[in-house]
Amino acid sequence: MGTGILSTGVSGLQAAQLGLQTVGHNIANVNTTGFARQRTVQASNSALVSGAGYLGQGTHVATIERLYSGFLTDQVNRSQSSSSGLDSYYAQISQIDDLLADPSAGLSPALQDFFASIQDLSANPSQLSSRQGMISSAQALGARYQVLGDQLAQMYEGINAEVTATVRGINSYATQIGMLNEQIVVAQGATSQPANDLMDTRDKLVAELNKLVKTRTTTNSDGSYNVSIGSGQQLVVGSQLMALTTIPSSADPSRLVVGLTTGGSVIELPESLLGGGSLGGLLQFRSESLDRASNELGRNAASLALTFNAQSALGQDLLGQSLLSSSPTSFAPALFSISSPAVIANTRNPSGSPTVTAAFVDPPPFNGNYYTDLTSSDYRLSADATGVTLTRLSDNKAWFGAGLGAGQGIDAVNVLLASDPQGFTLAASSLPLVAGASYLIEPTRAVARNISVNPAVAADPRLITAAGPVRTSVGTANTGAAAISAGNVGPGYAAVSTLPITMDYVAGVGGGLRNFPVPSQVSVDGVVSIIAASTDVVAFTSGASITVGSVGSTPPSGFNFTITGLPNNGDTFLISPNAGATADGRNALALAKLQTQGTMSGAASSYQQAYAQLVSETGSKTREIQVTGDAQRTLLQQATASRDSLSAVNLDEEAANLIRYQQAYQASAKSLQIGASLFETILALGA
Amino acid sequence: MRISTNQIYDSALLGMGRNQSQLVKLQSQLSSGRRMMTPADDPIASARALDVTQAKEVTAQFARNQGNAGDRLALVDSQLSSLTDLLQSVRTRVIQAGNTVLSNSDREAIAAELDVRLEDMLALANSRNAEGDYLFSGYQGATAPFARNAASSAVSYFGDDGERLLQVTSSQQMATNVAGSDLFMNIREGNGTFVTAAGGSGVGQNQGQGAIDAGSVLDQQKWHSAVNGFPWQGASNVGLQIEFSSPGGVSSYQLFDVSTPPPPAAAWPPTPVSAVLPYIAGQAIPLSTTVPVTDFGVQVVINGAPVAGDTFTIKPSVNKSAFQTMDELINLLRSPLGAGAAATDYSGKLAGHLSNLDQVLANISRVQTTVGGKLQSLDSLTSNAVALDLQYQKTLSDLQDLDYAQAITDFTRVQVGLEAAQKSFVTATGLSLFSLL
Repeated sequence: MGTGILSTGVSGLQAAQLGLQTVGHNIANVNTTGFARQRTVQASNSALVSGAGYLGQGTHVATIERLYSGFLTDQVNRSQSSSSGLDSYYAQISQIDDLLADPSAGLSPALQDFFASIQDLSANPSQLSSRQGMISSAQALGARYQVLGDQLAQMYEGINAEVTATVRGINSYATQIGMLNEQIVVAQGATSQPANDLMDTRDKLVAELNKLVKTRTTTNSDGSYNVSIGSGQQLVVGSQLMALTTIPSSADPSRLVVGLTTGGSVIELPESLLGGGSLGGLLQFRSESLDRASNELGRNAASLALTFNAQSALGQDLLGQSLLSSSPTSFAPALFSISSPAVIANTRNPSGSPTVTAAFVDPPPFNGNYYTDLTSSDYRLSADATGVTLTRLSDNKAWFGAGLGAGQGIDAVNVLLASDPQGFTLAASSLPLVAGASYLIEPTRAVARNISVNPAVAADPRLITAAGPVRTSVGTANTGAAAISAGNVGPGYAAVSTLPITMDYVAGVGGGLRNFPVPSQVSVDGVVSIIAASTDVVAFTSGASITVGSVGSTPPSGFNFTITGLPNNGDTFLISPNAGATADGRNALALAKLQTQGTMSGAASSYQQAYAQLVSETGSKTREIQVTGDAQRTLLQQATASRDSLSAVNLDEEAANLIRYQQAYQASAKSLQIGASLFETILALGA
Repeated sequence: MRISTNQIYDSALLGMGRNQSQLVKLQSQLSSGRRMMTPADDPIASARALDVTQAKEVTAQFARNQGNAGDRLALVDSQLSSLTDLLQSVRTRVIQAGNTVLSNSDREAIAAELDVRLEDMLALANSRNAEGDYLFSGYQGATAPFARNAASSAVSYFGDDGERLLQVTSSQQMATNVAGSDLFMNIREGNGTFVTAAGGSGVGQNQGQGAIDAGSVLDQQKWHSAVNGFPWQGASNVGLQIEFSSPGGVSSYQLFDVSTPPPPAAAWPPTPVSAVLPYIAGQAIPLSTTVPVTDFGVQVVINGAPVAGDTFTIKPSVNKSAFQTMDELINLLRSPLGAGAAATDYSGKLAGHLSNLDQVLANISRVQTTVGGKLQSLDSLTSNAVALDLQYQKTLSDLQDLDYAQAITDFTRVQVGLEAAQKSFVTATGLSLFSLL
């Protein structure tokens, strides 16, 4: 009987000791990340049968369990990967947000300074100082586009580097998870007891992995984890690792994308599969916001350069040179130079595929001023057996040209683009295109980085075309009271006729203006007459807008003027070259007007409005990411709180448990002592 | 719910962190005075602020252009005033020269003075602005606009009709110069519509005492259609002539078409286009023909007693420059003067020149009125621009500026929250069972 008390007491002592050790382990790990508190699970020993019934034989510790819920842990991981994704998106987009609207570093102040300098030039076209002032502010504007464009380009570089580092991190975590899987299987196989701390470590690694990319975890019967990403691509199976890698995108080799290595070959993972985690955030930022900001900034730079150059070409410089000048001439029609639209051939195009190029379309005139139709989207040109398709990637609008050869395919697409302009046209180095080839067209991506002031004009500000190329006058012997307006020119004016043009007025029935250049077309308020002989008379209407242009120019373009008042028979009106016009600032005024006119998006918005829209879009997106990020962080906190509520250590609780096990220990010791003293009593009887 | 020890720390830290980030944001708003630190704070307002800033800058630029235009026009205006003074003094001298009592040497003295005035006028016409551009040369700022032509010794214009425009509002461009052609060259002679003159010269000059006035226009429309619709016998030298005769001793006149074919073809003799009508001195003679029936819508008055064979011509006005008028005046004053018919001829010609001079003065006054009108409209544009600038400033302020009262209240509120979080953190973490063991 006495030995029964002893062994029962010892079992209690041992259980209490294990309990105290587990509590100590919990207290020691109170600050260990990912640690789930443990507790001993005690069970009574099987009883002995006696006459009095079943006699208890003490206790034993059945297992040491950890307080853990797979469901709560999954919830934390999911919230964590969304939150990390939004955080990395926010870290990137807030840089653009700060960059664009900075009162001193943004585009707006440079744009305003530039146009103010043109206004100054229009006031003092003969002054070299005001010409130099305009060159300086044009260079400052170009530099501002370049700085902004370079910073966005550096973000592409930064993202490439970060994607590489993140993929390395993912592989490292995946390798460790694989190793832990192996250890856990071995440990649990040996003892049939849960390897609590190994599992904690593995769960912590899975949590870290979810900060980088969103994963899904399933538990095998042997206790190992399978980890998959995207739509089920296996990353870790037991101790096997399918490593991720970074490879240049086949569509655009300057961007690194994520590839999955399987069976010695690498497949490109579509970015849509890699949502969540900082990797997902980075990729989403790049395709959603960075591309858009770069394209939009480039669109602004390209539109400025194209519209400005078109108007600039219609002027005359301080040396009296214009498109009318006979060669040799140093006339410089363009103030800005920009890069052509980028066309990137897919690296997997079939051999023999020709090189495709794109060119900006000259801006069509709009009420005497210019605009572009460029969009901020990228385009994909793909050829299959039936023909060529150009797809606008922002909304998947497509233009299809049947066939692949000359006059079909790409040429047919160009014809479609003429009536539905996108601001560029396409050309191939040779035809036909090869079926299966595809090309990525980035019309404006790189333009902001590549805009610069025409070096010829920068070196000699006299070449700025501030004056108009023609002037008008009435004959000195006129007896009538008609006056002619100053006159301006439109595209193609230089090809109409040599100057001067001297028109005269014939009175009477069937009278009007005559002596127009032969051949030419004269448009009076849009009504076109063809001039086949100098005696052809065009009816005169006081105040009508008259355009003398080349035959067939649509809309009528050339020399434009208005004659108001009543001319007398024989009165003459002249259009002459504007020689010596140093004080004429008409073209500078037309250039200055571009600031407030609809020069972009098919004449719908000005440079400033388009830029403000970019700022507003980026700001809205930043705000959206910020707000969603805050919400996601709250979700993460709640999920973490739920898990911690179950799994994390509470020191007060452990203190109470310490006392509990201490007292159990003391009580068991007391029962030992009493058992011993009972034994002593028996021995004393015999003595 | 079971709470772990770390949760107590974490949630307290989170609360303090949130309060602190709000404090930092409010503090940076307060120190910068701006409501938005980045566009993300208010994307719509940021974009609008950019647009309004551009509108404000553009308005400021227009205000600068208006100032610029005002300076330039004021300079032109002062030159025009000098020109008016100069021509007024010329006019006084010409009226003085009309006195037939003056001797040839008296007239020569006046001619000498007018010579100096002409040179003064030429100097004024070739004046430059502060930038060194000629004021009255149109587009050709570096070209002296007026110089004597080597061949004819007449003053010619080498500039053009160009207007130096400045953008003074978004929709309005204003010419800040006056072209020399407009000011000095394109001046209609006579009464501005037609010019009258006594016919003949030298031995063929009128022998009577008749004097024709400058004439008056009754109906401009009729004049225009008559001049353009009349079947002139030739295209050159278009005009009518009044020729006097005295059939039956009654002083009478008849209208003739004196137009001729262009040179070198020989001139045609005048063709009669009206009946012979009796002449009454001082009575208006309407210009209307019977072959064909055409009413020119104008009339002239002839005073005095013309004799048979005397003629007067009426021709559509062409341009005569201020310099040519002066040249002709000086030449007239320098030619020696006989008596009788020659004196009448002299008076008639002087009256013609005087009316041309009046046209010059009227033209300058017209230009000056235009310039004055522009200066006035610039004043009102500038006050508009100032008002607009204030409005934009206010809009910008509404969009960007911080509401200090609100921000300081928020700051205090967050501050109290942070202090409470800190105090409660210390108290909560001080409660440990271990400290009681």
